[in-house]
Amino acid sequence: MSESRSVPAGAAPAAAARLESFSYDDAIVRKFLFATILWGFVGMLIGLIVAIQLAYPEWNLAPYLTFGRLRPLHTNAVIFAFAGNAIFTGVYYSTQRLCKARMYSDGLSAAHFWGWQLIIVAAAVTLPMGFTQTKEYAELEWPIDIMIAVVWIIFAINFIGTLIKRRERHLYVALWFYLASIITVALLHIFNNLVIPAGAFKSYSIYAGVQDAFMQWWYGHNAVAFFLTTPFLGLMYYFMPKAAEGPVFSYRLSILHFWTLVFMYIWAGPHHLHYTSLPEWATTVGMLFSVMLWAPSWGGMINGLLTLRGGWHKVADDPILKFMVIALTGYGMSTFEGPMLSIKTVNSLSHYTDWTIAHVHSGALTWNGFLTFAMIYWLAPKLFQTELYSKKLMNTHFWIATVGVVLYIVSIYSAGVTQGLMWRAFDETGRLQYPDFVETVARLIPMYWVRVVGGTLYLTGVILFAYNILKTWARRPAGYVVSVIQAPALAREYVEEPLRPGIDVPASAWGRFVNLTFHRKWERAPVLFSVLTFVAVAIASLFEIIPTFLIKSNVPTIASVKPYTPLELAGRDIYIREGCVNCHSQMIRPLRFETERYGEYSKPGESVYEHPFLFGSRRIGPDLAREGGMKSNLWHLRHFQNPREVNAKSIMPAYGNLITDDLDFESIQRRVDVMAMLGVPYGEAIGRAPEMARAQARLIGADLDQTGGGPGFETKEVTALIAYMQRLGRDIQGDQGAVATKPGATPARAPAAGAQP
Amino acid sequence: MSLTELMSGANLDGYAQISLLLFLFAFALILWRVFSPRFTEQYKRDARMPLDDEHPQTPRTRGE
Repeated sequence: MSESRSVPAGAAPAAAARLESFSYDDAIVRKFLFATILWGFVGMLIGLIVAIQLAYPEWNLAPYLTFGRLRPLHTNAVIFAFAGNAIFTGVYYSTQRLCKARMYSDGLSAAHFWGWQLIIVAAAVTLPMGFTQTKEYAELEWPIDIMIAVVWIIFAINFIGTLIKRRERHLYVALWFYLASIITVALLHIFNNLVIPAGAFKSYSIYAGVQDAFMQWWYGHNAVAFFLTTPFLGLMYYFMPKAAEGPVFSYRLSILHFWTLVFMYIWAGPHHLHYTSLPEWATTVGMLFSVMLWAPSWGGMINGLLTLRGGWHKVADDPILKFMVIALTGYGMSTFEGPMLSIKTVNSLSHYTDWTIAHVHSGALTWNGFLTFAMIYWLAPKLFQTELYSKKLMNTHFWIATVGVVLYIVSIYSAGVTQGLMWRAFDETGRLQYPDFVETVARLIPMYWVRVVGGTLYLTGVILFAYNILKTWARRPAGYVVSVIQAPALAREYVEEPLRPGIDVPASAWGRFVNLTFHRKWERAPVLFSVLTFVAVAIASLFEIIPTFLIKSNVPTIASVKPYTPLELAGRDIYIREGCVNCHSQMIRPLRFETERYGEYSKPGESVYEHPFLFGSRRIGPDLAREGGMKSNLWHLRHFQNPREVNAKSIMPAYGNLITDDLDFESIQRRVDVMAMLGVPYGEAIGRAPEMARAQARLIGADLDQTGGGPGFETKEVTALIAYMQRLGRDIQGDQGAVATKPGATPARAPAAGAQP
Repeated sequence: MSLTELMSGANLDGYAQISLLLFLFAFALILWRVFSPRFTEQYKRDARMPLDDEHPQTPRTRGE
């Protein structure tokens, strides 16, 4: 392997004797680059499969490859595997160069890389097996969560260590974005994933109901903010000037962009829970801060686009700049739409519909996807020390992917608005115009097929991208040239520079304060900077979280609400395992079109024993909050066996495994015990949960036998799930446990109109 | 008295407004700092950092 040497031209002669030699670790960047491409392909392929499953339900192959199990795999793969590895690619490349230092430890870099890939493989294995905590983007079970925390800390040490040993006085703004992301993601991950294990791959959140929902969307929104936004902004502030060959339009604006995002983003999470049982004040705060986010987000987008000032002619010829322009445009579109969707009246239409899915994908496919493509196309010739294999192929990728994005988002926006309007439509007599939920789903199928076409185009673009990069890699030299850089080490003492030529910083404390020299010091001190960022994020979080947890009136209890029976708890765990929450909400909003369709709106006190909460965020199927007693046990059995047997237009997967698989009664005790540890008043179930579960299962089994379902279901998993279904929403109606699921119970409610026996 | 009772009795109706004022104060402080003309030269130099992979823009103490 050959080496080239270069000495910084700006090094002062007096300091030349103290020059330090070093080289950048590009091998780790190459590893992350390949991982980005591999997991990008895998994650998007799974996305295409779940898109097809919605249009053509026969593609669901129970138990491992159903929509409910694959959808979290898709989201985790594209967020943490594709975008995650892309972030690390860019961070490892740019941090070393911005700090004029090699990464703090090659060993930590390697541990970070292999640890992260191990986590991804663990996710790919456990999610299809049904091991899930069910909270969106935080589905992975507790052993993997611990691995994530360990690997993230390794990354943080390596990153902050590099900042400490840097040779550049000022920390460039991209490094601020990276640092904020590292700190905040650690905070979010740890607090949202606090659970009590109930088995090797089973746990219950320590939070319940409304409080759990609050924690989840504090996490969920900020996972988007601090995983898909701020680190990518850091990448943009580094790679956009590189690609445009000029400095960022306004460095001032980039600083403003940073602090306003860090301070504001963390408050916005409650807008995911509008009209739910979350306190109104919390959702209002979330909405206000979301709307305020318009300004910094657009400031950042404009700052990025204006970096091309004077060089717009290059965009026509350079596909890398084309990718970047579309990425920034996508950032602008989605950060305009996000605040708009957070406005309560708009949200009442969009929430639970495909509009949210379109919003997420308009940002992810362009901002995250296109920026990643641009960055890797720019990096590949430098990392592989050869020319890019084909600029023409890169251009083809750009156009195929752009058309794919347009088809995807236009069809899914249409689907979202269509479904939202159909849900709220009343006829001239004041009744719901589309009372049968499945009508509102069937109307979307053509749009789902258009999405499949769009997704196929986007994935085709990724295949071209992978081919182009691999062919470039194949043209690499026999040995990489490792440049040796020389630069002086930073001196420990630093004399503040004059504010203007000839005017020194005032010596007095007040003089230093009004001249804001403290901010300049922060910018040079990575550890202090980390602490301040943490404080900004933590204060905002505590302002929202503490009242929700500690003010009794926010979650008024309801005397009639009791814990689930052991069998119902086992059924709830099956509901979680199968990912039913990906399609069914359990949260009726206090809106007329909701209460007309589903019944009484949901109360905060109804979910006080819900570890974790199951409010859901999307309705591909109807809300189930008041499902109990609406249909017979036999209907549920037939429905799980083959949904299209009872509803021809249903797109729900068939769950034959629930009919054939035996329920593990013995494991119920441990689950009940953990729930009791969390404060759920289980009483007599502590010590005899399996016995109680068997007694209730025998009743349901007998009912199924008598009504024509056949014998032998009392030992099957489906019985537990039926018990859970029949319990939903019953506590506040005074008819708990009806429909022959409990000893002596009788049906107290007539099935809903149109419901089949 | 437990923390829950304390918080419940604290009458935090104006919470949203307090958070908004806090934000506005911090925002004003940052605006003042960022747009002060005295830092123009520093920012120009800082903005060029990504363009040079080898030479530190602010390498050592003043005068060295």
